Amino acid sequence: MSTVEIQDLTVRAGSKVLVSGVSLDIEPGTWCTVVGPNGAGKTTLVETVAGIRRASSGSVSISGQCLSTMSERSRARMVALVPQHPEVPAGMTVKDYVSLGRTAYHGLLRAPSARDRAVVDSVLERLSLQEFAERDVITLSGGERQRMVLGRALAQSTMVIVLDEPITGLDLRHQIELLDLLKSEVAQCGLTVVATLHDLTLAGQFADRLVLLDRGEVILDGPAREVIRSAELAHCYGMGLRVVDVDGSDVVVPVRSGLRH
Amino acid sequence: MNSNPPTARRVALVSALTVVALAAAVVCGLAIGPTSIGTSQIIGDVLSHAGLGHRTLSPLQSTIIWQLRAPRLVLGLLAGAMLAVAGGTYQGVFRNPLADPYLLGVAAGAGLGATFAIVDIGGGINTPTWTPLLAFAGAMVAVAFTWGIGGRGLHSNASTLILAGVAVSALLTSMQTFLQQQSSANSIARVYIWLLGSLASASWRSVWLVFPYVIVCTAICVVSGRALDVMSVGEDESRSLGLPVRRVRFIVIAASSLGTAAIVSAVGLIGFVGIIVPHIVRLLVGTSYRRILPISVVFGAAFLVFADTLARTVMAPSELPLGVVTAAIGAPVFVVVLSLRRRMVR
Repeated sequence: MSTVEIQDLTVRAGSKVLVSGVSLDIEPGTWCTVVGPNGAGKTTLVETVAGIRRASSGSVSISGQCLSTMSERSRARMVALVPQHPEVPAGMTVKDYVSLGRTAYHGLLRAPSARDRAVVDSVLERLSLQEFAERDVITLSGGERQRMVLGRALAQSTMVIVLDEPITGLDLRHQIELLDLLKSEVAQCGLTVVATLHDLTLAGQFADRLVLLDRGEVILDGPAREVIRSAELAHCYGMGLRVVDVDGSDVVVPVRSGLRH
Repeated sequence: MNSNPPTARRVALVSALTVVALAAAVVCGLAIGPTSIGTSQIIGDVLSHAGLGHRTLSPLQSTIIWQLRAPRLVLGLLAGAMLAVAGGTYQGVFRNPLADPYLLGVAAGAGLGATFAIVDIGGGINTPTWTPLLAFAGAMVAVAFTWGIGGRGLHSNASTLILAGVAVSALLTSMQTFLQQQSSANSIARVYIWLLGSLASASWRSVWLVFPYVIVCTAICVVSGRALDVMSVGEDESRSLGLPVRRVRFIVIAASSLGTAAIVSAVGLIGFVGIIVPHIVRLLVGTSYRRILPISVVFGAAFLVFADTLARTVMAPSELPLGVVTAAIGAPVFVVVLSLRRRMVR
């Protein structure tokens, strides 16, 4: 059975259709990245999978349970979100921030249990965040901050994790570090990942499966290597793309029209 | 810059000092007044009421303490606690440092209700009886309107609620101003005094009328601290963390508004407490509402009783409007705490 099942999903904002008739089945333990140009509907799609946006029609189910019928608390135990622009509340410690991921377990009236604290400590250790645990969240660098946001999502102990452009604003080393960390979590915990990424090279290197979205519709869906090398990809971006094999990895190079001969 | 969040030790110290301030405020509230009555006499009489020792106050002193100063003190404690915790709760739920308990129209609605009772255009209204009732009703109707306009529906959020509050407040204030303009000079003065807030008419009856509202609403606000901490990451993210944002927002706004309406109906519009107290507490103990709210309850209660003691003694026998005193001592205290905090984190 699929972990994430999206059936004929349409999302509108007023009269504008943001996502149109998308159907996807994502198997457990799969890393599925949605790619596409700006305005393709990637964020809308993944936010609907994370349950913070409502479907206008169609449905999203996780492990056979429809998100729209679930309480916020039950949903937060099944799917976690790393947003594109996370809010970082000044004055909160890193540990308290990561602990927010346990809200769905201890509720609003009870303090975190021993189990909640153990999960948070384990996440802090796995993501090498212990040394920052008592620091104010606003004192962290961009890379540390994004690791902390990932930590909060991992503390939710969900089967599915949704990431919307998680490496935006990070330098190359921190981009690879964060995706490597996530990859090891996927391998260790059997997480299912639904992500959006603008960097097509990294999208191709880290995902098992790529979904190419344009104007709210799925244009292509398949193994990462096939989608990266497809003609549709260049067509959607409206520019030339060259895929170069570097030591067995695909590297996507944009071809500036002015440089063509 | 060392901007580490406050240590548990600092939080404990601030909490202890706040409790000491509350005890001092209680002593001031009972002992200070035109008739000089010694603190030891008052404590002795309090103990005699608990069955320890014999009465230490004369009948006249006993009346001054138990029928004048004590109800005024208790009402001040309740009002300060409620306004401060409601202000802190509003600041958390709206994620807006400028939020105060009057944000959603409580002040404008209560003002209109009270003006209606005081001006008494048609005649036949018993002003002392109807002023608190109409103020309370006006406040609750105003908040219900605001919620109806900006708090319901799929696209409602904190901003739509604040804007609805601004609109409702503006409308009700214009109605109140019109009513006031149609009345006599005497009525205008009485409305003005009411608008500035005062504990002068405190009685045990008014204490018991507001007591259940304040206790229940303060308790709800304080236990909402954990939810407000989650909400500090924004509505979408807190929903993804499992927080039923709309339900929590409704409950805490209802509790803050109901408690504030009850207080306003009894003491008028006391400004500044709801905005300044949570800010001072935040500067001292950090940004977690689990700390800010309970400490604001105690600090707000102490603050208002100190302010009232000044209000009734500085220009005795006449009284200063309480709202003037809360602003006059609140603003400098806030500036001092702000500059101390800056020095500490440098």
